[in-house]
Amino acid sequence: MHLPLLDIIDTIRTLGWGGAFELARNGIVLGSLYALIALGYTLVYGILKLLNFAHGDIYMIGAFIGFGVLSAFGGAGNPSIAILPLVILMFLAAMLGSGLLGVVIERFAYRPLRNAPRIAPLISALGVSFFLQNSVLLLTGGQRYNYGTFELGGDLSTATPGPLFRPAFTVDQRPVTWVQVLVVGTSLGLMVALTLVVSRTRLGKAMRATAFDREAASMMGIDTDRVIASTFFIGSVLAAAAGVMFGLYIGETYHFMGFLAGLKAFTAAVVGGIGSIPGAMVGGLLIGLTEAYATGYIGGQWSDVAVFGILILVMLVRPNGLFGARAIQKV
Amino acid sequence: MRKLLFGAGLVAVVATAATAAIAATHAPATHAAKANPATRLVKCGNTHLIGMAFPATGDAASLGQQQLRWALFFQSRWNKTHKAKIRIVQGDTQLPNTAQALSVAHQFASATTMLGVIGPAGSQEVQDTVNVYKNAGLAVVTGSATRVALTRAKTGKPRETPANYFFRTVPNDDQQGQRVSNYIRKTLKKSRVYIIDDDEAYSQGLADQVQKLLRASNASVTRDHVSQSVSDFSSLITRIPSNTQVVYIPWQLAGKAQLFFTQLRTAGKSAIVFGSDGLFAPGTFTAPNSYVSAFPVDFNSAALKAYKKAHANKEEAFGLPSYTAGLVVATAIEKACKDGNVSRAEVRKNIIQTKLPKAATLLGFAVRFLHKNSGASQGNGDMAAPANFAVFRIAKGGKYVRVS
Repeated sequence: MHLPLLDIIDTIRTLGWGGAFELARNGIVLGSLYALIALGYTLVYGILKLLNFAHGDIYMIGAFIGFGVLSAFGGAGNPSIAILPLVILMFLAAMLGSGLLGVVIERFAYRPLRNAPRIAPLISALGVSFFLQNSVLLLTGGQRYNYGTFELGGDLSTATPGPLFRPAFTVDQRPVTWVQVLVVGTSLGLMVALTLVVSRTRLGKAMRATAFDREAASMMGIDTDRVIASTFFIGSVLAAAAGVMFGLYIGETYHFMGFLAGLKAFTAAVVGGIGSIPGAMVGGLLIGLTEAYATGYIGGQWSDVAVFGILILVMLVRPNGLFGARAIQKV
Repeated sequence: MRKLLFGAGLVAVVATAATAAIAATHAPATHAAKANPATRLVKCGNTHLIGMAFPATGDAASLGQQQLRWALFFQSRWNKTHKAKIRIVQGDTQLPNTAQALSVAHQFASATTMLGVIGPAGSQEVQDTVNVYKNAGLAVVTGSATRVALTRAKTGKPRETPANYFFRTVPNDDQQGQRVSNYIRKTLKKSRVYIIDDDEAYSQGLADQVQKLLRASNASVTRDHVSQSVSDFSSLITRIPSNTQVVYIPWQLAGKAQLFFTQLRTAGKSAIVFGSDGLFAPGTFTAPNSYVSAFPVDFNSAALKAYKKAHANKEEAFGLPSYTAGLVVATAIEKACKDGNVSRAEVRKNIIQTKLPKAATLLGFAVRFLHKNSGASQGNGDMAAPANFAVFRIAKGGKYVRVS
């Protein structure tokens, strides 16, 4: 396919600094969501050396639970309670529901295979992913649901956005909306909370010990089953939060939405260094920014090429990822 | 000893294979004639099978499921009023999974009691599978594959399907493209248009047509692309110049179009959004003062009211041509069954001679198929005039008002 470099340079010039700011804004928001999902991948890999391919579908389930709560309270067009408590309820329900689902999946699909060859839990994870996707497909008939957040407190008939879509502030007349502030702020808050849990709490210490050496941790009296279940719970909670925020920010939820988001978040985790929490965060932002700038400067059909191109580049230059520790091999 | 047994087994296998090959080449000639799937006679029992090749799963599942809803709605209406029932046999093609579409085609082709096929849904799928259906004598009637080249050859190239095997109950891209570009230039009087296709064959075909026609009328046209899997359009919208007057989105997912509209307005851009028939979804795409080209459907008709009632008040028209496709095939089977036996060849012959009145088709026009080229872009298998698209404006409250 022809890639006209001069057209790209022309686009960059035409969009100018304002366009560059918009793309940075878009990339940071999207990247925050990827980072949250990537954290789940990295936490589970760190503890179990398992790539939980069902994680993207946990994010999807979280988005659906959020939508369910929104609909239960009248939907975006006519909510029966105020916006703030409604949004909080959506988050709580999705995070709790998905967290429990993550624990159940670990208990029944992965724990029995913990001592099996590495490929077995991987296949099981794929199976769980297909199971979740197709279960939702059967329940919804492939229907795509729109959170309709634009209308939440707004009026679609006059294209007047609700409060979440109104500008919180502007930079060179380019708006940053309240929902974008919510996404980035909540993501940052959750990432900080996770870092504190992992570094400052007993559970976090147990998680680090289990990740370092599961057998030794068990011998030291740590209930590794419980630690692993907690890890899955935390990862699923983060993914669900990302799902609700995606629903609020973008609006759409459907059975297949977890596939590509999960793939990109996995890419973010790998780029950042699988098993590294700061790596997952930075990886997520990097992927989000790459996607935004590739779309904005080159074109929509190039965004996935750019994202996965970054993955290949990082793997060639730093195979353990940007923040991944090099494994020391005893000889 | 082991080697001896192995050798004996190998000899036995080779001997068996050789015997089978010799038997096959010496089979009586009449066996080959009786096995011709097109002319094989099937007794007209109480139930006739019609295949439906559509995307039940995968990324296009929402469209495929809508087509299925309409086809099953047809089945239930037909079965209420006809002694011989029809049963739709579903084949999931997982559009755009060509291998899966071929698997479905082979499955339908080998089902001896299958008399006709609704679908496939995608233009590329049609091109990839139509010869399998042709070799089996099966006619295919699609409600959504709109690429012009399927029925009308481009200069220097043959048409993409064999004549008299492929039919469609939906006008092609060129008819829709002409409608849209005329409306934008002559009625809306806009000259700065941004076209975004979603990388699928349906969308690209339409986008190509509209782009060509608009440029021919001296409009300033920018073309862009986005994947169907994208929901965050913010960076794509950054590329759209602020002075753009119309954004044409020939997409198939109405929910995506709704998201695009709200994100466009959030970004402060006021361009008119103009969608294709894939976006005709009054319950889903409700962007005020936007436009959609679609069939001149009357949602106040008894049949469509019945559909809405049976489907949680859904007002969706993208899948409606699949209803009509089912009607075409079922009517052809019924006609062929007058003598008690039916073959695929007879059904196909009756499909070619289809004449359905406007009230029965639900499309807003009568349906009969062209037997040869007509006009600039229609060919054998396309619907004859007055089949064409209308233009609807979305008024306040999401009401679709026909304006052309």
